[in-house]
Amino acid sequence: MEEDQSKSRTKDIRDESLDPITEKKQAAMLERLSNLHQSRLQESISRKTDNSSPLESTKSFLDRFSEAKRSIQDELDRCRLVSDPESKGRLKSDLEQLSMSIAELEKLVSENSYFLPSYEIRSSLTSISELKERLENANSMLLPKKKFAFKNKAAKKDQNNATSTAETGASDSVSVDIKAPETILPEKLNIQIRDSPGFRNRVDAVLVKHFKSSGKGDFTLSDLKSCEVRLTGRLRAVFIHRLKSCRVFVGPVLGSILIEEVEDCLFMLASHQIRIHHARNTDFYLRVRSRPIVEDSSSVRFAPYHLSYEGLDKDLQDSGLDGDTGNWGNVDDFRWLRAVQSPNWSILPEDERVSIVKISSAETCSEDS
Amino acid sequence: MGLLSIIRKIKRKEKEMRILMVGLDNSGKTTIVLRINGEDTSVISPTLGFNIKTIKYDKYILNIWDVGGQRTIRSYWRNYFEQTDGLVWVVDSSDVRRLEDCKMELDNLLKEERLSGASLLILANKQDIQGALTPNEIAKVLNLDAMDRTRHWKIVGCSAYTGEGLLEGFDWLVQDVASRIYILD
Ligand SMILES: Nc1nc2c(ncn2[C@@H]2O[C@H](COP(=O)(O)OP(=O)(O)O)[C@@H](O)[C@H]2O)c(=O)[nH]1
Ligand SMILES: [Mg+2]
Repeated sequence: MEEDQSKSRTKDIRDESLDPITEKKQAAMLERLSNLHQSRLQESISRKTDNSSPLESTKSFLDRFSEAKRSIQDELDRCRLVSDPESKGRLKSDLEQLSMSIAELEKLVSENSYFLPSYEIRSSLTSISELKERLENANSMLLPKKKFAFKNKAAKKDQNNATSTAETGASDSVSVDIKAPETILPEKLNIQIRDSPGFRNRVDAVLVKHFKSSGKGDFTLSDLKSCEVRLTGRLRAVFIHRLKSCRVFVGPVLGSILIEEVEDCLFMLASHQIRIHHARNTDFYLRVRSRPIVEDSSSVRFAPYHLSYEGLDKDLQDSGLDGDTGNWGNVDDFRWLRAVQSPNWSILPEDERVSIVKISSAETCSEDS
Repeated sequence: MGLLSIIRKIKRKEKEMRILMVGLDNSGKTTIVLRINGEDTSVISPTLGFNIKTIKYDKYILNIWDVGGQRTIRSYWRNYFEQTDGLVWVVDSSDVRRLEDCKMELDNLLKEERLSGASLLILANKQDIQGALTPNEIAKVLNLDAMDRTRHWKIVGCSAYTGEGLLEGFDWLVQDVASRIYILD
């Protein structure tokens, strides 16, 4: 069966060092993928040189987009106002035509998305879903007998759930199959899952661990209170959940660090991605490749990574985290989508930052001990 | 002629497929899409809203919609359901704590009528992490055996870091969608 094949494959890459055959396969795979990209780039260049090129500038895209949008809106308005029988007879096909125009517009956005700024993509798609909503309204108003829907079976359910849609604010009023999340209780998982390695449920403790510099594992910190945590060496992923009044120092992480529900803490972290949810009154000292994000957080402050232990520089380098990108201060608040600074986070003033934190190798016990 | 059949006809002509990438935040959706597209994956910021990629894959054009998984925007997923041919559900195989959350979101998604015809590829991602659950274990936790009989689905272990498993998964998905949509060609 399908699942069985994957098992042996995953075993290969878990080995500390890859055997030459696997390594070769992977190299070939990456090359194949990168060739795909090259040939696409090539195509895009040749497309640019002949005159049928797609619109490779934001402005001409926006011009074309708004023109199409306006004509769809005008046509929608016209459909709403028709009164003579002849035009009424044509309504159905007119509305179908409109639906196709909207699909075309969506395709235009998708085709141009690789060079458009994300804000433009976002606002274009918002416009498109508004148009779709207006079209569906027009459909149900003007063609009352045959319900406009991409599905038939759910029509009855739609009516029953009509109120819940309004609450959840779905933009298309016809589809209502999703129930409010709280009505669906997660069935208890009835299979035993092994826990990943980690420090859990500790109070007033100093928790120290060293990982190999070939580190390929993940580590979890959860339900800690008034603890100091020092993790040295390399990891691939770190999960942090429910910490209060803790100080946490972590060596480089090749993948991401996911933080949820922390309060009155200090974190010193280096990672490719850092995602912070439900944090309060906490300082983050970061080295990070991409822009850190915060969501549902308040009074969180940011400063650059300031850790020191023997071998850290090499570990950082091996994890692709040597050299500060300055991204520690480029925080995106996913709950605050306006141009002005989010009130939920700030830069930690220099005179309030802790001085460099040194972890001596005597303190760190080995992973294998 | 119904609207649906008109749209199918257009799509058939252009050999287009619409693929929706979903899963919890941090599962690796954006990294997978960039990797499939052969792009640089060294710096990826968490996705706010969505990315769209148009990718040529074999003789098909894939429109891949990579939708942000942040809790605050999961309710918007439904805006992307229309005309979805293939669904890719990405799981972080090392995130044991949120597997229950993951199962719940997947179950909710599969109840969605508009997605009932879509082929489902489940990617058990991050297999390069030591201690990650195997695709078999993920399948058990998600209770995939209980899936609706009519659903075409497959689970594949993969790593967006090493690239392994990705082409196997997408090859299956594209073939499966193609055999349904373009059968009349
Ligand atoms: N170790 C490992 N990390 C991965 C893998 N795929 C993605 N990641 C990391 O997981 C984090 C989240 O990835 P991203 O693509 O942004 O997730 P999304 O929220 O689902 O789009 C990033 O830090 C990635 O580097 C993988 O296969 N293995
Ligand atoms: Mg993403």
